[in-house]
Order: sequence, then structure tokens, then C-alpha cells
Amino acid sequence: MIRGLSRDVDAVDAPFAWERDDAGDLQLVARRVTQCALSRICGACAESLGRPVAFVGDDLEIGRNAFHAPPLHLTCAADLAARVDHWRVVTTSGFEFVRATAEDEDRRPVFSPNSLLGEASRG
Amino acid sequence: MAISDVREYTHLTDEEVEQIGRELDAIRAEVEESRGAADAAYINRMIKVQRGLAFAGRVTLLASHRKPAWAAGAAMLGVAKILENMEIGHNVMHGQWDWMNDPEIHSSNWEWDTAQPAEQWKHSHNYVHHQFTNVLGHDNDIGYGILRMAREQKWHPANLGQPVYNALLASLFQWGVALHDLDIEAIRKGKKDPKEMKRQLGQIWRKGRNQVLKDYVVYPALSGPHWRTTLTANATANVTRNLWSYVIIFCGHFPDGAMHFTEEEIEDETRAEWYLRQILGAANFEGGPLLHIMSGNLGYQIEHHLFPDLPSNRYGEIAVKVRALCDKYDIPYTIGPLHKQYGQALRTIIKLSVPNGFTTSDKPEPPSPDRAPVERGRKSDAERPSRRAELGGWSRKAS
Repeated sequence: MIRGLSRDVDAVDAPFAWERDDAGDLQLVARRVTQCALSRICGACAESLGRPVAFVGDDLEIGRNAFHAPPLHLTCAADLAARVDHWRVVTTSGFEFVRATAEDEDRRPVFSPNSLLGEASRG
Repeated sequence: MAISDVREYTHLTDEEVEQIGRELDAIRAEVEESRGAADAAYINRMIKVQRGLAFAGRVTLLASHRKPAWAAGAAMLGVAKILENMEIGHNVMHGQWDWMNDPEIHSSNWEWDTAQPAEQWKHSHNYVHHQFTNVLGHDNDIGYGILRMAREQKWHPANLGQPVYNALLASLFQWGVALHDLDIEAIRKGKKDPKEMKRQLGQIWRKGRNQVLKDYVVYPALSGPHWRTTLTANATANVTRNLWSYVIIFCGHFPDGAMHFTEEEIEDETRAEWYLRQILGAANFEGGPLLHIMSGNLGYQIEHHLFPDLPSNRYGEIAVKVRALCDKYDIPYTIGPLHKQYGQALRTIIKLSVPNGFTTSDKPEPPSPDRAPVERGRKSDAERPSRRAELGGWSRKAS
């Protein structure tokens, strides 16, 4: 058990911030996303983040500079992105954690990198 | 009940609450857009001053057998430790300076000069305390697990000893903080996972051992025959830092105006409501620039809780705008001189050492006076409810 989780963490198959739904798909868990954001731990392996910080997202998220998945280690992000066709990895030194407003239809918080480093790479 | 139903808000319409949120967003955006070289110069200068003081203090203490050298060395070292913990370490670990892309001044790398491992601080403080600010049963900073600080918390005969526990906590503050993320209450109730406890204890042991070796073995040894006076000077610097950080931290949430909340009140909180809870749950103190620097700018506790990852040197200018906003919407903004704020916290510690019936409340009445007493301690990460239990269809698939 790690950080309140009653299961083992595997950065790729059982990442910290995700749980499998009934169909076996990985779904983000809101509470753990917030925990990763504030405790500054990796959303995949749950260890302290490094520098740079990595985010995974699709073209829309990259275009908006607003990511739903929590911050990750670069290697964890690359491993996760390799599993999803439309995900790319971006790196940053810092990020803002933005909570949803009452007006937002999508009530998930987002992460906005504030010091992007280099180009996004294909996962 | 939601945060928007708390009595202090009831004069606000939903639209006004959201408008307050938009105005706070604008304050945040303004600082983010203007954040730059001057801010970077500030934190670099602060680190340079802190390291200079620490170096000068250690060198001076090589002659610690002379009383003026002992006093000067202990004072410089104490101030250096205060600066490192309050204005540098605490704020760096919040990610306030991550945007600089500095390899050293980054929330991922910084390890501070105190007994608690940085990783555990980022969980107990950045996450548990800042996300669940003043929420009874969640935020262990309400009394640090040993003091009864809210009338809603159950009284226990052990609370009679609060004035003594408080004095011990203040003097040994770094060690109290070191144990903070362990969650002693969970251990006492047998709820703590043994593997996690072992992992955390290992981290605390290694960090604590290094702190003790540094201040009580290595540096005294460098003083040769005067090792004993250097050791006492180092202990004095540590206790000074302990007392100072304790006072500053207790002034942040325990003065009379700072409210407590329940789990129900934070259910389905929007960003604007979250902002409002931070304003109502925190308290500021007044002072000049030096006092604010020495307290890690936590005299602007309200602003720190609204924007924990904005650079601390900007809190002063943010406070002017936040206070004007609170005046505009008639929202309580708790502020007073340091001695008054600490006096109120101390009075609460003493009054709550006895059952509620013996004393009267000095705080604004809780929103639901009839609610049941809240158990001591905090919920574990696993027990902590998601404010939106599942993300469902919104969630990103990564299978």
C-alpha cells in the first residue's frame, strides 16, 4: 500500500492516479489527481516528481495548454504515452493547478504548464 | 450544506460568489503575467543572504568559548534557519519558484534544514492542509493531533494538559512537524498501514539523524576544545527557530476570526467557493517588510492560501487587492497585530483544555451549532472522499 492506496502501484499497468472501470479501461480518480498536484508526486509511480515535469495529452490539450492527467516523471510519461496513440508528452519546469469554476461544463481540474521546455514528442 | 451556505456568505448570491472567484482569478493572472526577473532576483538574493548568515554563524562559532561570539553565532545561525525554513524552503516546496526552471530552486529538489523529510511535508502540508484547510477530521494542522483547537472537537481528560503540551510543541516544533505526516492518531487507532508507516519512519530517522549529526556532532567537533559551547549555540539556534515558526504557524489559523468547516461544507465546492473557504479559514497579521520576510510572508496567510504557488514576495501587493475585494463584498478578513493574533490562539489552547461548558466561544458561531462532535485525528488518503466521487465519462481513457 502506498499513499493511502490499497493496491500496488505499477507506473504503466496500474498507475497511481488511475483506476480501471468495469470495462477494464483506466479512468482518472479526481482525489488522486489533486493529491498528485499538491503533494507534487508522479501520477504514475507516486514517487516525488523530478525536473522536468512531464504531462501527457492529446492535440487539444496541448493546444489549450491545459492537461487533465496529473504531472509525471518524464520516463513514466513516455511509458504511458506509448500505450495511447493520440497522446504526446510535453515537459515543463512548473505548472498551475486550475480548479473548475461553476461555469465549466467539464468539472475536472486542469494543469497548465507555465514554463514549457522544448517540443512535445510523440509518445 | 455547502461552503456557500456558511453564515458569513449568506448575504451573497451565487452569482456574487462566482464574481468574487473571477476577480480573484484576475488577481492571480496579473501576477502570473508579470512574474519575471525581479522575482527571480528576490529569491536568489534571499538564498544568498541566508547562506551568508549560516556560513558567518558557523565560522563565528569556531570561537564559541567567547560569549560575544557565542551570542552572535547563535543569532546568525538562528536567523539563517528561520529564513531557510520560512521564506525559502516552505515556499520553494509549494512550487512558487518552479517557473524559473532553476535546477536547485525547485519543489522537486529542495530539502530543507529541519527534521521533517520534504516529501512528507509536501503531503501533510501542501496537500492535506491546503486542500482541506480547517476542515475538521481532515486537516491535522487543527491542533497538530495533540491540541484541541475547535469547540466542535470532542473533549478528553487528556486535554487538561494542553498548556503543557503546547509549551513542549513550541520548543520541539521541528520534531513535532517531523512526525506530522505519520498521523499518530491513525497509528494509535491501528488504522495506519504498517508498510507505509515503516517507510515514513525510515525517512524520518534518516533525516533526523543527519540533522542531529550536523548540529550536534560535526559542527561542534570543528570547534575542537570548544565543542560544548558550539553545541549549546546550535541548540539555541534550533530552539529559536522552533519557537518562531510555531508562533507564526499558530497565528495563521487559530485567531478568533478563522473558521472551521465540516466535510459536508466542502462537498461539490467550486473554485470560487474554495477561494472563499481559504479566506474564512485563514488569518493575517500586520507588520513591516522585515517581519513578513522572517515569517515567510505567512503574515499574508489568507493570500498564501488563495494562491499557494505564487511567489511569496508578491503577497503584499496581492493582499491590498484581496482586502479591497473582501470589503466590497462584506466578507470577513481576519487581521491584527502579531501579539494579538498569537494571544487569541493561546487563549483558545487554554480555554479548550476544559469542556465547552466551562467557557464561552470567542469565535464566530459555527454554521451548524447542533452538529455532532468531530472525532480527533484526520482521515487517511484512502478514506478521504473525492469531492466529485468519480470522473466518469469525463475521464481520459488510457487503456
